[in-house]
Amino acid sequence: MSDAAIIDAHVHVGQPGLFFAPETEPRELVATMDRLGIAYAVGTDHKSLYEPGGERLARLRDVFEQSEGRLHYLGVFDPRRSAECTSALEHARDWPGFVGLKIHPSLHRVPADDTAYEQAWRYAAEHDLPILTHSWSVSDYNAVQYLSTPERFEGWVRRFPGVRLVLGHAGGRGAGRSDAVRMANEYANVFLDFAGDIFCYRLIETLVESVPVDKILFGSDHPWSDPRAHLSQVLLAEIGVSAKTKILGRNAMRVYRIGTGRC
Amino acid sequence: MNGEATGVTAGRIEQMARERQKLAEVLCFFDSNIWLGRPEGFPLASELAPDQIEEVLKSRFITGGLVSHWWGKTVSAQDGNEAVLRALEGQSESLSAVWTGLPLFPPEAAPVPGKGQPPAKVRGVRVFPRSHNFPLEGWSVGSLCEWLVSRQMPLFVWHTELDWNSLHRLARMFSALRVIVETQTQKVLYHTRSLFALMRECRNVSVEISNFAGQGFIEWAVRELGAERLIFGSFLPVNDPFVPMGMVLDAEIPERDKALIAGENLRRLINEVRA
Repeated sequence: MSDAAIIDAHVHVGQPGLFFAPETEPRELVATMDRLGIAYAVGTDHKSLYEPGGERLARLRDVFEQSEGRLHYLGVFDPRRSAECTSALEHARDWPGFVGLKIHPSLHRVPADDTAYEQAWRYAAEHDLPILTHSWSVSDYNAVQYLSTPERFEGWVRRFPGVRLVLGHAGGRGAGRSDAVRMANEYANVFLDFAGDIFCYRLIETLVESVPVDKILFGSDHPWSDPRAHLSQVLLAEIGVSAKTKILGRNAMRVYRIGTGRC
Repeated sequence: MNGEATGVTAGRIEQMARERQKLAEVLCFFDSNIWLGRPEGFPLASELAPDQIEEVLKSRFITGGLVSHWWGKTVSAQDGNEAVLRALEGQSESLSAVWTGLPLFPPEAAPVPGKGQPPAKVRGVRVFPRSHNFPLEGWSVGSLCEWLVSRQMPLFVWHTELDWNSLHRLARMFSALRVIVETQTQKVLYHTRSLFALMRECRNVSVEISNFAGQGFIEWAVRELGAERLIFGSFLPVNDPFVPMGMVLDAEIPERDKALIAGENLRRLINEVRA
């Protein structure tokens, strides 16, 4: 593996159910990545978000192998099924392509600061794995987002300074973003990905001005958003090429330990 | 724009940026969705001043477009319509206005579309049925639709302001009315089953693409519905034009279709508006 690559650090595969999605299969994602020059992706499948466990992790390992090592995967931790998820994660901890945990407090309806997440944080600390979480702002049209606001993770971040936390969607489009930016500045172990529909004007320039560039990760939220949506936003942003290289891949390589021998 | 699937150097990143910049300039993007005034519901977005429009568009490789004013939704149709015309005075010919429309009965104070001759700068009308408390039904907005058809003026509507059954009935009732469903102020993703089925039935309905960002949507829509049904829009200054622009630049569709989506479809629509 070369020392730099474009990495889509936030993807999903499989049918999302909630909406019509013409392209969701792993092979279709790989084809899109090929067209765009994206070397690797990190994510999970939609089914794992609803039905996590050993069977799904085994399926994701197959996907990783079928993609010839390009689609790295995260193990979903559902705090309502803590013991079952922890057991499956323990089983998978040395599997090729397994690069971290995924939590989604809004989807699982358990606030991010609930003690039910204790096992996830302990597991990540013990195995030097990052956690990617959904994060958003309080929303007047999507009430469950209050469960995933960035400041709810602050207690965990302090208690587990060795666990790298990626705030997916960078806290969203509202006040959550300000907290996400503050935490990325305040804590060495907090990172931001800008996956999803935070298509804000000059988002990339603003993030680069607000947090250390090493803390920013390119992600799409495929198939909820096409990687093309954010790729040109980074490539055409008024920032230096060194920052673009870090955002597009180098930072994700460091956070998810891609290309360091683990995977 | 095929790239390699492994390493990427700084030089390659710069090359990828240059390729996109060059293609963006060739495609002459023309934006249906530029906004003045304070954005509502987007606390992190800044207001775009009239004298900034051209500079911002130039920095995003956009050659012109249609400008609207938030007051047309948040204050009143009349305040918004006056404000957008005032803001465009002395601005480039490449900028035109979208007015906010209301049902023609009961008659309301000017300036609103349907009351006298609209200024030449006005090239489209947007309605906010939910926010302004009227149904998007023929018995309510039919006379406005007739007025729009008589001038070949397009009707814009955010998907968050409509219900799909009403739009379906209206689009069939007025088959000569050009309707553009806009993908703000929330992602249209959850409604694509309705949107695409409606577009298949109603050839007079197009979609604006500022938040038409689901995986493969552009290719699918071009293949199933036709490139002439997609209209470039940015939703500036809330959203970054580079997002929908990137979707077009990197789409796996013929260059001719990219040009249609980037600007030709919208230019044709507004050039056909009768004074």
